[in-house]
This record gives sequence, C-alpha cells and structure tokens, in this order.
Amino acid sequence: MNEQERYDEDLLSRYINPEGIEKAPEGFTSKVMARINTVNEPVKATRRMHKISLVPVISCTITILLVLSVFIIPENRGDFMALPALEFLKSIKSVLPEIDFTSFFRFSVPVTLVYGLIGILILSLLDRALYGVFHKEK
Amino acid sequence: MAGMEYIGDITYIRQILAGKTSDFSYIVDRHKDKAFNLAFRICGSREEAEEIIQDSFLKAYRSLNGFKMKSSFATWFYRIVYNTSISYVRVKKKGVLSLEDFPADATDFVRDNSSDEEAEREYRSALIGFALQKINEEERGLITLYYYEEMSPEEISEVTGISKSNIKVKLFRARQKMLEIIEKVEKKKLVYHE
Repeated sequence: MNEQERYDEDLLSRYINPEGIEKAPEGFTSKVMARINTVNEPVKATRRMHKISLVPVISCTITILLVLSVFIIPENRGDFMALPALEFLKSIKSVLPEIDFTSFFRFSVPVTLVYGLIGILILSLLDRALYGVFHKEK
Repeated sequence: MAGMEYIGDITYIRQILAGKTSDFSYIVDRHKDKAFNLAFRICGSREEAEEIIQDSFLKAYRSLNGFKMKSSFATWFYRIVYNTSISYVRVKKKGVLSLEDFPADATDFVRDNSSDEEAEREYRSALIGFALQKINEEERGLITLYYYEEMSPEEISEVTGISKSNIKVKLFRARQKMLEIIEKVEKKKLVYHE
C-alpha cells in the first residue's frame, strides 16, 4: 500500500464506523422461517452424487469399437455378411484406406493420420448427437 | 458466552440437512445483521434490503446441500447476499443522486435529547451513506465488506469472485470517489454557513 492509498484509507476510516451497522428489523427471523415453512422444497439430506457425464464415455466406446472393427472383421467372409451390423461395418472398412500394419512400425504418418482424423470426426459427430439426447432428458 | 457452548454453523447445517428445518433459525439469527448491512449499503433502502436478505436466506436454504462443509458458511452466504444485492440494484437502476439531495449541516441531524457529538456522528454516518449511493453498486459492496465487515482483500475475493489485485485497485478508486463526494459536500456546508 502506497502513501496515497494509506492516506485515503485513513481519511475514509474517520467517517466509517464499523460498529454503526444497519441491523435487520425486529421479527426478521420469524418472517424468514415462515417463508421457509411455506416452501414445499425441503433441503435434501443426501448430498448430490458426483455426476459423471456418460456422453464422452459412450462416444469413445462406440468410436473405438468402430475403428477396431475395421481391423478385426475379415474383408471377404460370406457368413459374416448375413448380419446387417456387420454389413455396415464392412462398408466402413471398404471406404477407409487400406492400412498396412507394418507401416505403424515405420511411422507412416499419412495413413495413420487418415484414421486419426476419421476417428475424431466420428467422435465429434457422436458427441454432438448424444449431447442432444442427454440434454433433452434434463 | 459463559456456560454456553458455541455451536458452529456446520453443526446446525448438518442438523438441517438431516431434516431439522427449525435449526435454520439459528443460522438466520447469527448472520442476519451483517448480511442486512451489506444489502442495505448496496441498495440504499431498508425495505429493499429486507427483501434481498429474505430472498438470500431462502436461496441459501434451498441450496444448502450444495454447500461444501470445508469452507466457511459466512463466506458462502455473503456471496449469495452480494450477488443478489448487485442483481437487484442492476434491475432497479435507480436515478443518480445530486449533491442537493444531502442536507448541508449536522444541525439537520439534531434530535430531541441528542448532543452535538451524536448529531455529528449521525451526520457523518448519513454522509457516508450518501457517498456510497453515489458510487456504483459493485464499489458499494467492496467498501462495505472492507470497512464494515472488516474483511481482508483475500476474503472479499472469495465473496465477490474478483481477483485480490483487482479488489485493491477497485477499492482505491471507490475510496477516492467517495472522498471527492465528501469533499464536495463539506465545501457546500462551508458555503451554507457563510
């Protein structure tokens, strides 16, 4: 605190008396309690549980499953094609560029980058969609 | 108090949360005056301050389960009072007072059976009340918390959410504005006596 501030403070302190506070009117407590008793919303005894947002968890799970399925599902197996879900996954696989696993070890940036970007895209789309769903519930 | 054990706010709050609603009256009794003073200094009217404090206690009661027992109830509650008062004043947007609105002399405060000294004290108190109404609502809150509630800038920061360094700057400005107003009124008082 510099000299000017100290001077100003002292000057104002001469006018302000901390003892001279304005007190609440008579019967104030009973008025508040009467209002509280009319409120049909008692405080909850249980403390609110910490809410974990499910949106990112679900989004991440679905995205990881989708990306993994692209690697796991074989490309030309007739018996798998009977299931519509697998049919869908298969179509995703055909859209995505062919990945060469050995390229990971050689740090092939372009191919992994494509998969990364697709993953982010799916994640963001799912995130927005699920956010809408969960937000409506509130 | 001799022979009486001081029961802290937290004990009462636990009982209220367990369903003993009537214990809230102890909380109201304990904090009503200081909270009322804060609201009164910000809004400038006893009627409005009463409304603000009633609303603040109701808000506190409703959100009591959100209160973290580790912090001070007073700080948490003052935050509610401060924010409610500021919002209230901003909605009302009262007109600006002019210097003519303030009585020129301490003799205007002399009542039956009151001494000159009491009249001077009343005059100074009214002058401070007047100067407070001439600065903005945020500054009024800061001055009240600092001078009347005798809080440190750290505590004021907790109540208002304004950073400690910013509080010091704002307090300095508010102080200077108030002193300017007081000076003008005092000059007017001298003219009045000439």
